[in-house]
Amino acid sequence: MLHIDQYAYLSRLRGEDPLLKVLFTSATMGICLWADSVLISLLVIISMASVTVFVGGISGRFYGKLLLIPLSFLVVGVLTIALDVSRHPAGFLCALNFAERYVGITVPGILRAVRLFCQAFGCISCLYFLSLTTPLVDLLAVLRKLRVPKLIVELMGLVYRFIFILLDMADAIYTAQASRLGYATVRSGYRSLSALASMLFIRSYKQAQDLYAALESRGYDGELRVVEPNYTVALEKYAVVVFCECLLIACAVIVHRCGGSG
Amino acid sequence: MPVDCVCRDSASLRREWLVMEDIILEAINLSYTYPDGTRALKNISMKIKRGRKIAVLGANGAGKSTLFLNFNGVLRPQTGKIFFKGREVRYNRAGLTELRTGVGIVFQDPDTQLFSASVYQDVSFGALNLKLPLAIVNRRVDNALRGTDTYHLKDKATHFLSYGEKKRVSIADVLVMEPDVIIFDEPTACLDCRNTLQIMTLFEGLNKSGTTLIMATHDVDVTWAWADEVFILKDGSIEGAGSPERVFADEPLLRATGIETPIVMEMYDRLRAVGFIEEPSPIPRTKQELFALIEKSPPLSFKIAAPIAP
Repeated sequence: MLHIDQYAYLSRLRGEDPLLKVLFTSATMGICLWADSVLISLLVIISMASVTVFVGGISGRFYGKLLLIPLSFLVVGVLTIALDVSRHPAGFLCALNFAERYVGITVPGILRAVRLFCQAFGCISCLYFLSLTTPLVDLLAVLRKLRVPKLIVELMGLVYRFIFILLDMADAIYTAQASRLGYATVRSGYRSLSALASMLFIRSYKQAQDLYAALESRGYDGELRVVEPNYTVALEKYAVVVFCECLLIACAVIVHRCGGSG
Repeated sequence: MPVDCVCRDSASLRREWLVMEDIILEAINLSYTYPDGTRALKNISMKIKRGRKIAVLGANGAGKSTLFLNFNGVLRPQTGKIFFKGREVRYNRAGLTELRTGVGIVFQDPDTQLFSASVYQDVSFGALNLKLPLAIVNRRVDNALRGTDTYHLKDKATHFLSYGEKKRVSIADVLVMEPDVIIFDEPTACLDCRNTLQIMTLFEGLNKSGTTLIMATHDVDVTWAWADEVFILKDGSIEGAGSPERVFADEPLLRATGIETPIVMEMYDRLRAVGFIEEPSPIPRTKQELFALIEKSPPLSFKIAAPIAP
């Protein structure tokens, strides 16, 4: 999963104004949720995927693999929605009889499931666009601009930075344990794992103390002041985004008028 | 010591004397005990002269890091005093800000120092804490990044850097504050030769521009080649201090503290002992100086003086 972060830095859209990207993502996602239509969802998926892959320069293979990750969750979640329960066997395509009740699949149920599936995938493609083009540092800058409390933004930044240090630490401890047969049997595996967990906790604590000393030595006084990345705000780009979103809304309205919401 | 010191109070006397000697940082009878009872520093006194290159040698756990944290005001000595630019350090906000503006520490592990995921932002932190205008902050950050050869990394994520790159960024973190004294806690530990050389070259430039450098190290060869002054720390006390020539010639001291003789110095001594180098010359500090000396000495003299007692 950490590759996402690396790809965000490599994306050709990395240098774009992060606020614009956040706006584009959230507006598209909002419309996708509001329209509640398979056609619109498919349109969102296709456009977001092509922007991420072709404009952003993310490899198509990697993007495809990434889409597979939420697929399994989605399928399980959607299947339960496709199921209907009724006292009468009428309307079911196929059903099982449980003590005077019928559990099975109906045509409206399938349609509902497909619509939800597409909608969810549309939202995923929107979020993937954001996370594959915008490193977290830029997102934090947007949050600061949007006046999210400083403490939350600072904590997010520190958590993000220390995830990598923690992972490195865990990796090093695991390797050291494994090289001494720490995971040779299930029993020793559990013992090693518990040692790893407690070790990580202690080291994180130490790391936090050291970090505090290091920050203090550089004049820390309770606020992590940093220079914000400087992006050129191009109004014409905002205009393009607004135009695209209007187009999407128009499509949604047309689809609804034509009654093709299913 | 000034001669006409009879009618002055001791504080002004000290100030005058320090300015005369140009001592930028001084610890007097410094002791520090950690809450768990470890006595990390025992009655340490040391003077750091402005513009010098100082090496602090000592085994792990000798108290080097504790001493440095005291020098920067992160730790407050339980007994003893610290003087910066001749004035006693006050542990209020203004006093600490002044001390930390003047004395910077580059920590041993860059991962404890780099808190931001963005290189540029991390370096900007110290400069912004000095409450400088943004334009100056940006210029200083650019300079610090260029000075440590990390300008090309400015938009990179901290966690994608190599160890050597992180190390250089952590130096830029402190350079950006433009302190008078920079303390390096084992700057060359875990670095490859190329990175070590790069950092030592950087130190040379910093020192030429007037920055006082203090370096904790285990490496006696680096110390020998680099330092103007050496302090040897053992179990929280200063066991020896002085010029490298003096400290490394003091065999009982080296034995007691478990410190080796630098290889260049040892070679020179042996070559002199066998008569290969005859004339008293300044003791070579680097391999290159030693080689130059060897090339200068006539090969004949070696043959004449060759028979040595086994």
